[in-house]
Amino acid sequence: MNETTIDAGGLAASSSVPTARVNIPFEFRATGGEYFRIWIVNLLLTIVTLGIYSAWAKVRRLRYFYGSTVLDGHSFEYHARPLAILKGRLTIFFGYVIFLVLTKMFPLSIFLFLPLLLLGVPWIIVKARLFQMRMTSYRNLRFNFHGTYGGAMSAFIGWYFLVILTLGIIFPMWVRRQVAYILGNTAFGTTQFRFVTGNGRFFAFCYATMGLGILVYAGFIFMLFQAGLMNPQQNADVDPGNLAQMFGIAGLLKLLVLAIAGVSVYGYYQAAHANASIGGIEIGQTRVISQLRASSLIWIQVTNLLGVLFTLGLFYPWAKVRAMKYHLENTSLDTAGGMGEFTASAGSATDPLGEELGDFFDMDFGI
Amino acid sequence: MIEGRYFDGTSSVGVPAHLTLGADGIARLFGLADRAEGPVDELKFSERVGSIPRRVTFPNGGVFETRDNDAIDEALESIGRKAGKAWLHRLESQWHIVIGSLVAVVLLSVAFVQWGVPAIANQVAKVMPVEADRAIGMGTLDMFDRTMFETSELSSDRRAQLRREFDDMTEPLDDGHEYQLEFRKSESIGANAFALPSGIVVMTDDLVKLAKSDEEIIAVLAHEIGHVRGRHALRQLLQAAGISALAVAVLGDVSSISGILSAAPALLHAKHSRDFEREADTFAKQWLREHDIDETRFDAILCRMTREAGESSDSDAIDYFSSHPPTDERVRCLPEEDEPEAEPEAESKPRVS
Repeated sequence: MNETTIDAGGLAASSSVPTARVNIPFEFRATGGEYFRIWIVNLLLTIVTLGIYSAWAKVRRLRYFYGSTVLDGHSFEYHARPLAILKGRLTIFFGYVIFLVLTKMFPLSIFLFLPLLLLGVPWIIVKARLFQMRMTSYRNLRFNFHGTYGGAMSAFIGWYFLVILTLGIIFPMWVRRQVAYILGNTAFGTTQFRFVTGNGRFFAFCYATMGLGILVYAGFIFMLFQAGLMNPQQNADVDPGNLAQMFGIAGLLKLLVLAIAGVSVYGYYQAAHANASIGGIEIGQTRVISQLRASSLIWIQVTNLLGVLFTLGLFYPWAKVRAMKYHLENTSLDTAGGMGEFTASAGSATDPLGEELGDFFDMDFGI
Repeated sequence: MIEGRYFDGTSSVGVPAHLTLGADGIARLFGLADRAEGPVDELKFSERVGSIPRRVTFPNGGVFETRDNDAIDEALESIGRKAGKAWLHRLESQWHIVIGSLVAVVLLSVAFVQWGVPAIANQVAKVMPVEADRAIGMGTLDMFDRTMFETSELSSDRRAQLRREFDDMTEPLDDGHEYQLEFRKSESIGANAFALPSGIVVMTDDLVKLAKSDEEIIAVLAHEIGHVRGRHALRQLLQAAGISALAVAVLGDVSSISGILSAAPALLHAKHSRDFEREADTFAKQWLREHDIDETRFDAILCRMTREAGESSDSDAIDYFSSHPPTDERVRCLPEEDEPEAEPEAESKPRVS
């Protein structure tokens, strides 16, 4: 039990008196209908302002999602200022245009950008995470991020070279390093998160994913050979556009099974990754529990995708809310002291360029 | 009186409290150990979004949080203060405005894809140097040579003669493109010709043989020059980028949808490609007229190519995503005396591209 360990961060109350542990689940109170209305108005204003409004739209969207995320009766809040986000976006946009034009016209100049990008990525990661955390509050306490540039350099770039040197064998350790860097350096008020999931768990699910992925891939290649697609001699007579002709009906069914298997492997990875990462957070005496199920995740993603496709995008707000709801409502806190015992540090705002850069590479441009 | 909780900002402990906004412009908090008060003008009221809690921030950094959104709005109204951006919430609350927005978004998106994207791409292309076209076309011919082309079997005299004609056509253009005519033999694409953005025009042996006169070949070359001169490849690329940007803006942040989004430009690619074909057709006919060549030469060769391709294909399905407009829409095909009349529904795939 943890009751006797005193965490330097500030959860002092439960250190002397053993308290019963309680489980506090996250709740997500957003509804598709409500988000649909926010989304469509955001979209219209963004279009008529030729994209300028997108920064305001982003703040409104995130305020709605954060505000709908409820823990122990209180919701989260997003504090970013739209104008700052707009400035960041414009900077990135013009930077990107310059990059595109230069590399298109002088393809060799990419070799100049590459080291720049290598040095820049850790900086972007630190800035983005710092901004995201500082702009998030819960019970009027801000989150914070203490990761350093050197730390990001080591976790994201340094380890990458280590992975190459070891022929990829230790790749799960790289995945864990990144998660540990991001989560372990996050703080709520003055209380820093600890990341406690060990390498073993990362090795297990990374290698399981890889094994399953190879099986699916092998099955796919085998089918291509069977259909004669990989054999250039027979290729001439087969119209590659006509799948039924290539594989036959039974073959098409097998192909469908393979596609579902492929999606499932991806779903398994997502669920396992989230459970190992989010579920590895400890904050003082509080432990985060993440219980995503691969099958549910796959079901939600596939049906969401079909819904969005068959409604030409109209289902999107419902799909989005549904996915977030599943993630959040299968996450909970196992806590001894409740959520009322965290303290603040002196917080300050930060330049949002970093977050927008991070966003840019994530392509989080939705409205 | 508005019920809520007060967080002083130094710890996560929340204290139940009520807030009143007095007619004297003073906000008062009750229920705390010390009664707190201050001028309403110094408080910050968060904007109302959906049904999420409302936050009232005090100058000392304390926050009063309440779920009673209506009470806050009423209290602000009663003392004559506007809640910030309340109009946004009103827009979002009324279904007829929401439906109106939806219709407007759909119409604007369609209009944007139909006219906005091509117009913007055209303007952007104008400020980009010709080197950009060359960069796009680099290596394309090498790739085709490896995969589907063989060396031309036309006599070198014939090739030289056609090249001279081609040079005569392109020299006066003086638009920065380095035009060059290449001949290749190809089983897979049959009688065909295409232009690379770098200015290289490739013509197959079959097409040269299919033509009944050099004027027909010139007509096809004029069409291809129209593609290069119109910078269609560059504009195509820019348009695809514009459509991607729109698609991502609308449905951006759902990871499972992102994959589908990348297909959006591909779906519209065909439509824009057909527009470019029409543009090249117009250019070719204009050029023929200016050089006193009967413009029906273009129709004749195009019709014959369509017929040729139609005979070798067993599919008569209309190709919805075809990259070319239907031939009978581009030109009027007259039955030629020495050729059997064309099937009414000629297959519409391989053609002058």
